[in-house]
Amino acid sequence: MTGSALLRARGVTRWYGRGSALVRAVDEVDLEVPAGQTLAIMGPSGCGKSTLLHLLGGLQRPTDGEIWLAEHRIDGMSERGLARLRRHHVGFVFQSFHLMDELTAVENVELAALLAGQSPRRARQRALDLLDRVGLADRAKHLPSALSGGQRQRVAIARALSNEPLLVLADEPTGNLDSAATLEVLRLFEELRRSGQTLVVVTHDPRIAAVADRIISMRDGAFADDNRLVGTTTIGTTTAAGTGTVYGRVR
Amino acid sequence: MAGRLLLVCRLMVRDLRRRRTETVLLLVAISAATATLTLGLALNNALAKPYERTRAATAGPDVVAMPGATGPQALAALAPLASAPGVTAHSGPYPIAYLMLTAHGKTVQVVVQGRDNSPAALDRPAVTTGTWVRPGGVVIEPTFANALGVRTGDTVAINGRPLRVVGTAVTAARAVYPNADWRFGPGSPLVQLAGLAWVDSSEIGVLADAKPPSYTLNLRFADPHASTSFRHMSRGGIEYTSWTQIAETDGRLVKQARLALLVGAWLLTALAVASVANIVAGRVVDQRRRVGLLKAVGAGPAMIAAVHLAEYLVIGLAAAGTGLTAGWLTAPALTNPGAGLLGSTGTHPPALRTVLAVTVLALAIAAAATLAPVLRAATTDTVHALADAATPPRRRRWRVWLSRRMPTALLIGVRVNARRPRRAHLVMVNTLITTTALAALFMGLAQDQQVRLGESELASPRNTRTLQAMFLVVVVLCVLALVNAIVSTWTAVLDARHPLAVARTLGATPAQVTAGMAVAQLLPAIPGVALGIPVGIGLYLVATPGQPQYAPASWMLAVALAVLFAVAVLTAIPALAATRHPVADALQ
Repeated sequence: MTGSALLRARGVTRWYGRGSALVRAVDEVDLEVPAGQTLAIMGPSGCGKSTLLHLLGGLQRPTDGEIWLAEHRIDGMSERGLARLRRHHVGFVFQSFHLMDELTAVENVELAALLAGQSPRRARQRALDLLDRVGLADRAKHLPSALSGGQRQRVAIARALSNEPLLVLADEPTGNLDSAATLEVLRLFEELRRSGQTLVVVTHDPRIAAVADRIISMRDGAFADDNRLVGTTTIGTTTAAGTGTVYGRVR
Repeated sequence: MAGRLLLVCRLMVRDLRRRRTETVLLLVAISAATATLTLGLALNNALAKPYERTRAATAGPDVVAMPGATGPQALAALAPLASAPGVTAHSGPYPIAYLMLTAHGKTVQVVVQGRDNSPAALDRPAVTTGTWVRPGGVVIEPTFANALGVRTGDTVAINGRPLRVVGTAVTAARAVYPNADWRFGPGSPLVQLAGLAWVDSSEIGVLADAKPPSYTLNLRFADPHASTSFRHMSRGGIEYTSWTQIAETDGRLVKQARLALLVGAWLLTALAVASVANIVAGRVVDQRRRVGLLKAVGAGPAMIAAVHLAEYLVIGLAAAGTGLTAGWLTAPALTNPGAGLLGSTGTHPPALRTVLAVTVLALAIAAAATLAPVLRAATTDTVHALADAATPPRRRRWRVWLSRRMPTALLIGVRVNARRPRRAHLVMVNTLITTTALAALFMGLAQDQQVRLGESELASPRNTRTLQAMFLVVVVLCVLALVNAIVSTWTAVLDARHPLAVARTLGATPAQVTAGMAVAQLLPAIPGVALGIPVGIGLYLVATPGQPQYAPASWMLAVALAVLFAVAVLTAIPALAATRHPVADALQ
């Protein structure tokens, strides 16, 4: 693997079904994501972008191909190995938040830290700091059911960051949010990008793509376009530039 | 490590608190099995312990000698035995007569022993109510008194002479009613069943119409082997009966009841496992999502198993405690009334062996019923676990062809079961076990509950106790089956809310949807009932000595229809309630 790439995929393939019902969800994809890059993967529903994200995070195993993360080859890793990898190096943000209903916001955030073996006191302090960072310090003791959609997603983002992961993977993070909540999440992602956090976001939302350093368009399980962007972004507005599938950033 | 431990405890406590109803149902299910096992093990002691206690408390003899002769000849035959080598103590000879006792219009055989207030080295019957014998009074063995329905203060007649019942007492020198007469020799005036009573020695001659009485002599030997090497023997015109024979005869009274409880404990255990699996299956949907979530944040399979198992093991331990207490408190009810012996199995704390067996059972149920779904969830693909999709039914051309020709309700029922086949299997197991127990109970009820003692019939204590045990098992089984049915139907209705809403948008009426849900439960219940009836009959036949009578076919038909009706009604209620909600709510 090359030294600069934090995440690297080569010939990654994921098929479902067999015979006439065979679906090539991800079809021989090659990808390199350097550390500190914010990558947005876009494309129509069913093009395979969520599957690719799951493969990159070790939530699913590829049918074929190699995936390397932080110099670890993960496509053939044991379930325990993958769990350890996710625990220490990967943070996930889901469209449906996937918070534990029975745990408070702060308890949800410290979940990953406790799993990683941190002391309860240290995990709690880190969780409170993260909640403060996402603007939810006053909601720490609230159950998810008492939080709005945007607040739940911010808790989920705080949870994803709790172990200072090398890579944050976000699957349609604003898919269930209204405009105001989407703006809150956009600001957080922009902040993450500036802080040098490696981020891969699967999204339909051009505003999310606008905060990315690079946008990849997917179609029928393969990459259709790969654009690297430079310049600044204005959050809350869509200033389209570039060609075809590129959104919101000045080339 | 501290962090992970905290996490496991936190998730366990929060989940238990969040699902209080399910936790209580699980507790009830496992407790029912452990309580029955406690009862079964406690009744094991009922064979020996109460007799041993009675023997110790009443200075019971090692051997009882009774000559075939009567009057002076009998006394002469017994005289050398009291001073025979190896005999360390004796009491008697006491006169006995085989007479007829009349109470409440029933005339039955009774063995009457003549006693007085003088101290005896052996066989000092323990008075349980009233006083010991005095002139004009009779003391009756309590099991016999219960069967006759007489109490201290009542008047009975022995061979037509009225006597006041002054008390009840127990002895270890003679088996309790209806086996108080154990003589085997030919020419005995009474050969089989009788009760036992004591009167003042001075009155026995009058009661026996001046016929010469027989006599009984109680012996104790220096060598224990002298009384345990045989049960009954006849030598030199004298019948010798060892205490082991009496203990065995008394034990026979509870043997059937014990068997019923042990079989019941197994049935209850199976039902409890089904019940736990049923409740757990209802949680699997939510569990799978939880597992997916834990996996996504980095929990490994061991951690996931630990989180879930901890919860069930805590419930299992609580259920072991509850079951032990409940079984221990219930045991005296089966051994005390009219037991004719001192003490009861429940008056002492459960033995360590019982505690261990019950704890192992509770933990095994919890582990067995939860391990499979937990492991399955732990090894499920994280993305699928998070998506939480039901198993799609396998499409077969003939099934599609058949389903197109089915009435709507039947089609809904078939499809609901195809979505969750394991739940359908659990419904079948539930109805199979419940029907088995009910069929066995009805077989028990069909048997003759009376024993003939001469002119009249009295309640058989053995059959009464066996039926008591069977009733107890069936009541607990029915409670558990009801819990199962409610859990199963509610989870089925909740789980099928979305597809049923789709069916309603396509034109299915609330009545069709309700009937469809009832059909979904009835389809697996029918084979369960059809199998349960013969299994229950077979179980009773195997466990019952002799040639038991078959229960009428109409009884069994009624059992089958009642079980199916209960299943249909229990399903229809939540299904009907669900159809009252707007379709749009379910579709969201």
